[in-house]
Amino acid sequence: MGTLTVTDAVSVDGLVAWLSSFRDAVHEHGSYLTELDSAIGDADHGANLTRGMDAVMTAVVPPPDTPGELLKKVGMTLVTSVGGASGPLYGTFFLRGAAAAGDAPALDGSAMLAVLRAGLEGIVARGKAEAGDKTMYDALAPALDAFERSLAAGSDVGAAARAAAEAAAEGRDATEPLLALKGRASYLGERSVGHIDPGAASSALLLDALADSLDRA
Amino acid sequence: MVSHSPALAVAAVELAREMVHGDGPVVEIAAGAAGGFGTDATDVTVALERAASPDGVLVLMDLGSAVLSAELSLELSAPTYPVRLSSAPLVEGLVAAVVRAAGGADLAVVAREAEGALLPKASSLAEHAGERPAAAAEAAESAPGVRLTLINPQGLHARPAAQIALAVGALTADVAVEACGRRADATSSLELLTLGAGQGAEITVTATGADAEQAIDTVRDLVLAGFGELEAS
Repeated sequence: MGTLTVTDAVSVDGLVAWLSSFRDAVHEHGSYLTELDSAIGDADHGANLTRGMDAVMTAVVPPPDTPGELLKKVGMTLVTSVGGASGPLYGTFFLRGAAAAGDAPALDGSAMLAVLRAGLEGIVARGKAEAGDKTMYDALAPALDAFERSLAAGSDVGAAARAAAEAAAEGRDATEPLLALKGRASYLGERSVGHIDPGAASSALLLDALADSLDRA
Repeated sequence: MVSHSPALAVAAVELAREMVHGDGPVVEIAAGAAGGFGTDATDVTVALERAASPDGVLVLMDLGSAVLSAELSLELSAPTYPVRLSSAPLVEGLVAAVVRAAGGADLAVVAREAEGALLPKASSLAEHAGERPAAAAEAAESAPGVRLTLINPQGLHARPAAQIALAVGALTADVAVEACGRRADATSSLELLTLGAGQGAEITVTATGADAEQAIDTVRDLVLAGFGELEAS
């Protein structure tokens, strides 16, 4: 056990910082996300997430009292503001995460893992994706495994989030040669090969934002 | 109707309504999101609430994320009445479902009808290609019944099939139509369509049940009137 650090438990403010960082990231990389989505989708992923995260940041100021309430608000806001598949997918991610957070006032490492795992299970339940389908799952699943391993090895939440972000980036890159088996990209068949999946890219941004926000905590 | 496009959904509903002369079941639409193409699970919830009925609601969807939104809506709102998410194609399924529901069928039957809605098109294409369509049951032998000849130019196509299905569906009778060596349940516009009975085809109408005679008379009247299409150019 090490000394207690500020990154040992994520508060509501910490979560807002995460969301704010993600919002900034989708703004910064919006054209990139859209470019990926033009290659193998309907070219609106950047715009969808930008609109969604702008709506989220408006909705969480002032923030609710608990992480659970915050995550629920984020989920519902994404559902109503992101018209594409990311709405129900990211929406479910946050809604399931909210349920896992319960009414805890802050989320320590294992609670954060539980939130992320519940979120990922929600994505699987909703989108029915499996590893290798060339979706956001291919970034999120390795990210959560890395997060869990890092915590188990004694790291704090901040370090675990950094490990998760790195794994997410690798997972994103690994989608490039895959054949899309889900979503709009799956209509393209062979033409989906050789392009990074936009959902995996935005998921990598999400984990990156988590790591950044905890670093600055 | 859950669609990425409000215009698409509205037009599809109008098309379906034509088949039942503006009557038929309640159809609510959840389409579009954030001012453009897309779907919103909370809109689906609102539409479901408007369509809510103890008889249940059939949900038709266009592309994949419409399914995601519909499923999320059910997860969030947990309706107490039966809700069936249909794998039917949007337009064909809607038309088949509206016609069947207008004839008074229950949710399970309407759902099955919607899911089989590609059959007439597939049959028609298969026939043109010289293949045997699999659809209405083969008539083992010609059953006793009223023999009629189709006089209207397009024979038993979509509108006449719907007219028969609607008229017969409202009666207490089991009615079958045989043509071209196949047999169709007369309350199913889809099955009637797959008979592929064109102008000049001979059809045999049989019926049992309390309204059997009325059912046969109704079908005869429709056929002899050319389903109202005789003056069409």
